[in-house]
Amino acid sequence: MLYEQELKTFVEGTTNFFEVAAQQPASIGSPYLMEGSPSVHEYTGIINISGKREGVVYFTAPKAMLTVLLMKMQENDFSHETMRDLVGEVANTISGNARRDFGRDFVISVPSVVSGEKPSVPNRPGMRSFIIPINWRSHSAKLVVALA
Amino acid sequence: MSLAGTVRRRQLVTAGIGTALTLVMGAVLIMGFRLATTMRANITALQSASSLQNYPEEISHQLNTLRDRLEVRAYSGQALADLQNSVKHFDQELRQINAAGDMDSPQLQRALLLWHQYAPVIDPVIAFSGQPYVDSDSSGSSLSREGRQHYAEVKRAQLFAADNARPLQTQLASLAGSLQRASSDAAAQLRTLLLAGVLAALVLAAAAVYFQVTRARHERAARDAQEQTRDILKTVREGFFLLDANYRIGSVWSEALTRMFSRSDFAGLSFEDLLQGLVPAATLTTAMKYIKLLWGDRAHENLMKSINPLGQLEITMDNGHGGKETRFLQFDFHRVMGPEGVRHVLCSVGDITSSVLLARELHDSQENANQQLDMMLGMMHVDPLQLVSFLDTAETGLKLVNTILREPARTDAEFRKKLTGLFRELHSIKGEASALNLKSIASRVHALEDMVSECKKRAELSGNDFLPLVLKLDELLAHLRNVREMAARLTAIKDTPAAHPDTLSTSTTMPAAKLAVAAAPAPERPAVRSVEDLTPALQSMAERLAQDHAKRFRLSMSGLAEVPAPYSATIKDCLIQMLRNAAVHGIEAPDVRRANTKDTLGVVRVDFRKTSEGYELVFEDDGAGIAPEALRSAAVRKQLITEDEAAAMDTRATMALIFRPGFSTQEGVSMDAGRGVGMDVVARSVYALGGKIGVSTHPGRFTRFKIALPPADVSSTAVA
Repeated sequence: MLYEQELKTFVEGTTNFFEVAAQQPASIGSPYLMEGSPSVHEYTGIINISGKREGVVYFTAPKAMLTVLLMKMQENDFSHETMRDLVGEVANTISGNARRDFGRDFVISVPSVVSGEKPSVPNRPGMRSFIIPINWRSHSAKLVVALA
Repeated sequence: MSLAGTVRRRQLVTAGIGTALTLVMGAVLIMGFRLATTMRANITALQSASSLQNYPEEISHQLNTLRDRLEVRAYSGQALADLQNSVKHFDQELRQINAAGDMDSPQLQRALLLWHQYAPVIDPVIAFSGQPYVDSDSSGSSLSREGRQHYAEVKRAQLFAADNARPLQTQLASLAGSLQRASSDAAAQLRTLLLAGVLAALVLAAAAVYFQVTRARHERAARDAQEQTRDILKTVREGFFLLDANYRIGSVWSEALTRMFSRSDFAGLSFEDLLQGLVPAATLTTAMKYIKLLWGDRAHENLMKSINPLGQLEITMDNGHGGKETRFLQFDFHRVMGPEGVRHVLCSVGDITSSVLLARELHDSQENANQQLDMMLGMMHVDPLQLVSFLDTAETGLKLVNTILREPARTDAEFRKKLTGLFRELHSIKGEASALNLKSIASRVHALEDMVSECKKRAELSGNDFLPLVLKLDELLAHLRNVREMAARLTAIKDTPAAHPDTLSTSTTMPAAKLAVAAAPAPERPAVRSVEDLTPALQSMAERLAQDHAKRFRLSMSGLAEVPAPYSATIKDCLIQMLRNAAVHGIEAPDVRRANTKDTLGVVRVDFRKTSEGYELVFEDDGAGIAPEALRSAAVRKQLITEDEAAAMDTRATMALIFRPGFSTQEGVSMDAGRGVGMDVVARSVYALGGKIGVSTHPGRFTRFKIALPPADVSSTAVA
């Protein structure tokens, strides 16, 4: 059973990134259950999880949001690679938060990044997929937690 | 006796023997020293006595020589000097022998006596210092007057010496012999003593070797024991330590403690400091009181064990990665008794996190199994088609809940709006579940409703408040899937002859084939159902409501078979809600009815009929009716209207409050009433169909709802 605290850990990892990197906190919208295949934005940072839980957690954000985020971070490089690095960094922060809170129970992979593709989500019995909208300024990204 | 006691005794015996042998050796050495001193004196005396033996003869001979010289008038100076020298040495050495304190020999005494007798005759001879001769031309050299006297004295001394030299010599020889024997005896004693000393030394050396060997063996055993203890403390999975009378941890503890408490500074640490910050203050206080009790002489260990407040302690620790983790520790205490009472308290700490979590999982699993059993038993009394229809409806409703959640929201108002929508959907699902007596589903939806209620009370809503809701929603969906699976299993178990289409239509038992088909998840909610199927469900619900609320009433239904399919869902929802209201608010408790001279068995009547303008549903109970004042008070209490507005309301406006969202006259929330969601849903559903709803009541006698619906478009109707 996925616990609220586990979900909160991933959410906090994401919102903390905005707090620290852009000095402007992100808020979350109302979470909901994923139905059908996952919808993604242009850039997606993914971490695979095994051990006590199996599945993936990914952060997917539109290019516009990442552009503003980079501007807030005083970055002048808005290239494709920089965008990829940025979502990778968000995934890395989520991963760090999870390691801190879950310890050795969770085996967390090195973050990977895809752009414009749907991450492959393992389909296991009991897999629960939650989508948490991440609102920052006028933009909205998604945190997807798909764990069994 | 214990090993330590035996070892101790051996050590004491060995030390005693060693001390005794050392003392013996000391005595031997002292005695040997004294013997050696005596021997040395004896040997010196012997040497003197040996050399003195020759003197009497020599003195006698020198006196002869002096006489001869004097007779022949030869030079006598040298002879006199030799005599003087001999006498002097003899006298000195004899005195020295005599001066030796412990020399108490009769021979010596006799020799001294004889020598003293020599003195009168020999002293004048050796004292002579004149010229013994005078020379003259006539007679040549002759004795002088002094010479003559000297000669006479020499002659007398010579005669005396001739008589006494041998006795003196004999005494001296005898003295020497005596001294030699004494020396021999002393030497023999010394040898014996030395032998004893050597033996004692050998024994001492042997004892020392034995002691060393024993000690080495014991040290090796102690070292082995220490290593074994260290290995045990290093390997054992429990934490062990001793507490002293000041409740401080001793210097030895097992390694497991380090892992359990993520620290290693246990030596001298107080038990209170160990738990400080890990457990609530109240628990810590109780634990310290308990520890103090353990030191009491009258404390009964088994009794103390039964009241151990640290039997299962939940603590939150750093997980080593900067985060926190929860562990469950079990503390056990054993008193270590000494001759004067409790010496220490042995504390063992076990990490029982896995066991506790496993027990919880087992408990959850058992609860789940029980719930499944209850669910299965409940399902056996539900018409399969109704069950599947409900599952479809519930799933559709929950998907709608998810759709509501999915709507973008950022402000408090947007989040709050979601809650209202969620309430309506959930309440409807719960109503149907209750009607079918599917308690596990109804209770889960009720719990979700509770969470929504809690959210409503919050001053400012955010997405974080919805995290538990979505988890609960997912859990509910999973439960519905389980119920669907169970329904399919039930079908398989029953294995009725339902495979024959002929028996399907006539059988009064569960139409298994139909269930088997229907139990599979339906892609869409069935468009048409007959309300007639709901009759037993409503009866069942009425029975449950009567039981839950300690009411007695009879449900009478007619005309429900005439409900056209397009209205079936709405009529069903309305009936469920109104039946709940009647059971909770309308029908009085039997004793109240009796007091009001009413039949203790209440009546709830449902009539559906076709009218010239369409259809009419009448729902009536012969209960307490609705007091307008009570409605107004409840509305004011719920802050739906102000007191002024309430005062200005007429009866018609007051009765309309029933259909306001959030209105309920019930104070608390139960499974069946109190949320203020229900009649507003009923009214909305009726309005949505183009119908009307009205209520009439007489306090103390009845409440009647009339629902008028327009003619239905029966072209889309098909009976399942």
